[in-house]
Amino acid sequence: MNRLPVKNDVNMNNNRNKKIEEILGSLDGVQKATVPDFFYTRLKAKMEKGLEPATKKHWVLRPAFAITALVMVLVVNAFVIFRGDATSKTKNNIASGTESEILQSIASEYRLNDNNSSVYDLTQDK
Amino acid sequence: MNENELIQGLKSGDEASFKYLVENYKDRIFNTAIGIVQNAEDAEDVAQEVFIQVYRSIHSFKGESKLSTWMYRIATTRSLDLLRSRKSKKRFGFMQRLFGEGNEPLYEIPDFNHPGVAMDRKETAAKLFKAIAQLPENQKAAFTLHKLEDLSYQEISEVMQTSVPAVESLMHRAKQNLKKILEKETD
Repeated sequence: MNRLPVKNDVNMNNNRNKKIEEILGSLDGVQKATVPDFFYTRLKAKMEKGLEPATKKHWVLRPAFAITALVMVLVVNAFVIFRGDATSKTKNNIASGTESEILQSIASEYRLNDNNSSVYDLTQDK
Repeated sequence: MNENELIQGLKSGDEASFKYLVENYKDRIFNTAIGIVQNAEDAEDVAQEVFIQVYRSIHSFKGESKLSTWMYRIATTRSLDLLRSRKSKKRFGFMQRLFGEGNEPLYEIPDFNHPGVAMDRKETAAKLFKAIAQLPENQKAAFTLHKLEDLSYQEISEVMQTSVPAVESLMHRAKQNLKKILEKETD
């Protein structure tokens, strides 16, 4: 009674092996495929047109282009990061100065401390 | 026209020689390509590219091997190149889908029916071709050249620029792998 499942398994394996062997042998005696008619005419037309081969890779997919693009992106990123860092440092330096120093520097830049250069004072006698 | 005359004719740009070459080799090249790329239109494209390459680079052919060997080599290389480009296109399509572009379904290769297979074997041959498509490149090339083009191991070794024992090993591994793939498919 216990032998039946084992026998079934063996039969199933035999059937499967037979099926696989049948598939593997399916190309025995296969006829050779022949090229469609007017192949030479189409070939000559292609040669005259000077078409690029169909298997040629698109230029965007070429490794040289992909690597160059990646390097450029990294360089731009690095530039933006370092520049941003430098700008924030300058801002910090300005913020650390006292308010009077800043006012003084603005005043000297616009010559507000110079008493002899009051060009807007129209009432003053020259 | 013998092979030397043919090669000389091709080197001098004689059109009659080129036509003779195409007429005599087109089916062999097409049959090799169709076994590897498993699509008649792609195989015709490959066959055209092979003849264009032969026409352009015949001056670099030194006659160290037979002309047919050289052409089989070009056909095999071109066919494998096409499979690689098909694979990368598929990958690119997958990426496009990931990023929300291209909602069309991914291109799946349908079951291939070789025109030379007898009617009663079409179904089993389609299963075998599906399994062949999953083999590594060199096993695929060796198996196709042997089964479809009836090339001997010696001829395959010349096409693939390797030794006869290496071809024997490739064929053995190809058969083992095909068995494994088919076992998985039939489970």
